[in-house]
Amino acid sequence: MKKKTLIQIMLHLFLIFSLVIVVLPMVYMVSTSLKPNGALYEYPPRFLPGLEEITIENYLYILGQGKFYINFLNSLMVAGCAVLLAALISSALGYVIARFAFPGRNFLFSFIVLTMIIPGLTLIIPQYQLAVKLKTINSLTGLIPFYTAWTIPYSTFMIKGFVENIPKELDEATYMDGGGVLTVFGRIIIPLAKPGIASVSIFNFLTAWEEFPWANTVINDNLKRTIPIAISGFFGQHQFTQWGYVFALSVFSLVPILMVFIFCQKFFVAGLTSGGVKG
Amino acid sequence: MTINFWHHYSAQSAENDTLMNVLIPKFEEENPGIKVNAVSHEWGDLHEKILISAQSDTLPDVGRLDSAWIPEFEKMGILVALDEEMSDYNDVSAGLLDSAMSTASVGGHSYGLALNTNSKILFYNVQGLADVGINAPKTMDEFVTAVKALAGTNENGQQVWGYNEPALAGWNLCPFIWSMGGAITNDEETKASGYINSPETIEAIQILADLYSEGAITGWNSGDIPMTDGFGTGRYMMLLEGPWKIAEMEGAYPDFEYATTEIPAGKGGSISVLGGEDISMFNSANKDAAWKFIKFMTEPFAQEEMAKCGQIPVNKEALESDTAKEADFAPFIDAIATAKSRPTVACWSEMDSELSVAVTAVMNGEKTAKEAMDELAVTFDEMLAQ
Amino acid sequence: MQTSKKGKFQIGLLLLPGLLIFGIFTVYPIIKLFLMSFFEWDFGNIADQKFIGLKNYRNVLSDRYFRIAFTNTIIYTFVTVPGQMIFGFLTAFLINQITRFKVGYRVLYYLPVITSWVIASLVFKYVFNTEGLLNYFLVHILHVTSQNIRWLDTRWSGLWIAMFLGIWKGIGWNMVVFLAALQTVPADLYEAAAIDGANAFKKLFNVTLPCIKGTILFALVMLTIGGFNVFTSVKMITGGEPGHQTDVVLTWMYHKAFSTGAFGYSAALSFIITVVLAIMAIIQFRMMQQKD
Repeated sequence: MKKKTLIQIMLHLFLIFSLVIVVLPMVYMVSTSLKPNGALYEYPPRFLPGLEEITIENYLYILGQGKFYINFLNSLMVAGCAVLLAALISSALGYVIARFAFPGRNFLFSFIVLTMIIPGLTLIIPQYQLAVKLKTINSLTGLIPFYTAWTIPYSTFMIKGFVENIPKELDEATYMDGGGVLTVFGRIIIPLAKPGIASVSIFNFLTAWEEFPWANTVINDNLKRTIPIAISGFFGQHQFTQWGYVFALSVFSLVPILMVFIFCQKFFVAGLTSGGVKG
Repeated sequence: MTINFWHHYSAQSAENDTLMNVLIPKFEEENPGIKVNAVSHEWGDLHEKILISAQSDTLPDVGRLDSAWIPEFEKMGILVALDEEMSDYNDVSAGLLDSAMSTASVGGHSYGLALNTNSKILFYNVQGLADVGINAPKTMDEFVTAVKALAGTNENGQQVWGYNEPALAGWNLCPFIWSMGGAITNDEETKASGYINSPETIEAIQILADLYSEGAITGWNSGDIPMTDGFGTGRYMMLLEGPWKIAEMEGAYPDFEYATTEIPAGKGGSISVLGGEDISMFNSANKDAAWKFIKFMTEPFAQEEMAKCGQIPVNKEALESDTAKEADFAPFIDAIATAKSRPTVACWSEMDSELSVAVTAVMNGEKTAKEAMDELAVTFDEMLAQ
Repeated sequence: MQTSKKGKFQIGLLLLPGLLIFGIFTVYPIIKLFLMSFFEWDFGNIADQKFIGLKNYRNVLSDRYFRIAFTNTIIYTFVTVPGQMIFGFLTAFLINQITRFKVGYRVLYYLPVITSWVIASLVFKYVFNTEGLLNYFLVHILHVTSQNIRWLDTRWSGLWIAMFLGIWKGIGWNMVVFLAALQTVPADLYEAAAIDGANAFKKLFNVTLPCIKGTILFALVMLTIGGFNVFTSVKMITGGEPGHQTDVVLTWMYHKAFSTGAFGYSAALSFIITVVLAIMAIIQFRMMQQKD
């Protein structure tokens, strides 16, 4: 018994030690955001600000700038819409591919999985030209279909795995009661695959929330920028960079992600494990 | 109606504040029904954004463009020839400095109005030079000696550099190349061999590379302290900078004591690089409204307001105003008199980026200055021939 | 089960939005990209695009900047993929052994994963600044070096930071994936191994790893794709500097496309990357199958 306790303590010590290294950069970010902006090239540089030095001036500055609220709402809107669309579309695709034999089914599924291999950014040129044709350059709604399309392959792949784990007997019973394909989708598949859909959606939300190169390429106006673009906008090559502001805005931008993650934690793990991956 | 105006006044600068809080409200008041949507981009991003937007017909109406970009954009066919399209062009341009207006002219037509002009001079840390007992350098030899003498460590054991150069593009290198008697191309701007790899040009690059390898100059690397902070905190002892630096230092380091002098002279004299921006109209613009805004920006009121932030006016009337006289632009205006423009060719942006890469390789010791410049001459000749 | 007419219609209805979005925004760009790669397609001459066969491909393959970027990408992938997997697996392995606070560790180790690339890159850039905290620590506290190290300014140290960031950010994801896999390993296999007198290492190599082979393959493929996708961190940390020495394939592609307007060149480059990645995925599948 004693030996076991000792091993447990060792394990915890080891985990805590490596955890400190892992979270150190995050702590430094928060601590820098609480320092006065002028302390950038202070000497000596300090990991934590002195107690008397702690200030929320960087946060007040960010909160005092109307445009950051709009950037924040932009990101929320774009990510929210893209996630909902991707969830609906991928569930439908995953369900149909898992359950019905239609001509070209294998081809469709293989093709969807294959596109996961293509690095997303390589398509940026033709996608840019497409956005031009659809007149969605410099438009927030223009971001949504692209984000949705990028997340469909992974989402479909995962959700299909989930649907396959739902017993077919449940479908049959619904058909006996006179329900159709859509009834099964709405009453059986969506509710039972919910953990999978939720986990995929968390992942998609993160993707859309933090997406940088595409939004940076197609969005021009300050008030249409999403949060990552707003953060990178603090940088000018030859001017001075206000790291305090940068990190204060960064901390704000982490809040929604943290909330989504904490509230949906159990789905998240369930999703990564039992779906597409079978150990 | 809204006109879109893209510029590269830094988002957090006094110029941008003046634009947003003084100039645009005034313009909108004078011109009811026209709104101005101003968007700030970083200098390099603005160039990239314009190239991208040209592909998609999403160009803004008006842009504040680095005058070095005008030939390239003219070749792409995205700029409006103002002298052809605007009936009162001659009246307007007559009020602006000819030398500045020439930067917007390609093939006899005018693709913008001059908006501001500038050039670089030497800024130095007064206390720093006094501490090592030397005067502000007047010649390139004195400059090299001073840079070496000023480099070292401060009382905290932190490294101090004698000179800072924030990038290795033409804007940064030309004053050295020209003052040392070198050149980028021939006068006709058709050939680079024998100019970019002339002994004088190679010597200029070599001097900088030697200073860098001794740890006496720095600034263009990603990990370096930004220019203003480095100068204001005494880590960079000297800089070559333009008139905006005065307002910037006033804002960020008001107590810091510095002085300015002309660019150290070499075999070629004291030759600075001519900078400046033009305000141009893109061909997708709403021409009437855009022209009103362009004229507004070059009129005395706007020019004087911008002069307060260190933008040298090009409007003759504004240049004679008290505001401009108080701003103490004299040293810069002297420098402008002898300054040269970077090559006015359509492929300049590409040449500029190749120049940067080549000189970076010399600085890092991967190539000798001669090897790098010889290779560059071949590349430049090909670009210029196209 | 025979699907009725109405059923077929409903199936079609479910497929339609997916096929439309996927077709327009993914399939069409892929085809367009492939076609573009055979044309001279630059900013200057948008009107006349000439068919030039494989010239774009030849230009890419003979371009020394592309070679540097490609080498950098391969190195990045070969370092970060095993790095993430090993640290992720070890963390999962330890968490799987403990009896308390499992959830707490899981959440905290996952923090870097949910931090956006932009923010993580900025934090690393700030820490590794020549005048940053790390150099102060090395020079003035540990005295391991007398000069500030120029982390961001040389090819290898710049890449090293990007790789370090890649590993740091990926540990959490691997930890969650492997933790889930470890929980599926049947306990009686361990008991059987214990009866045969296997020590902890033998258990790991003879029982655990074979049982989670599917997960290892899954992680390997996903992370390799991720390695080739590296963009934001390099763009924000070094921007490819000095002189394109730290560019990876995607930052080089983006530079060629949007700073110089060489769309045809970039399209050919994109296809080359995709083919390389597909070949690597196939090799990985084969290797795992052979071990069966």
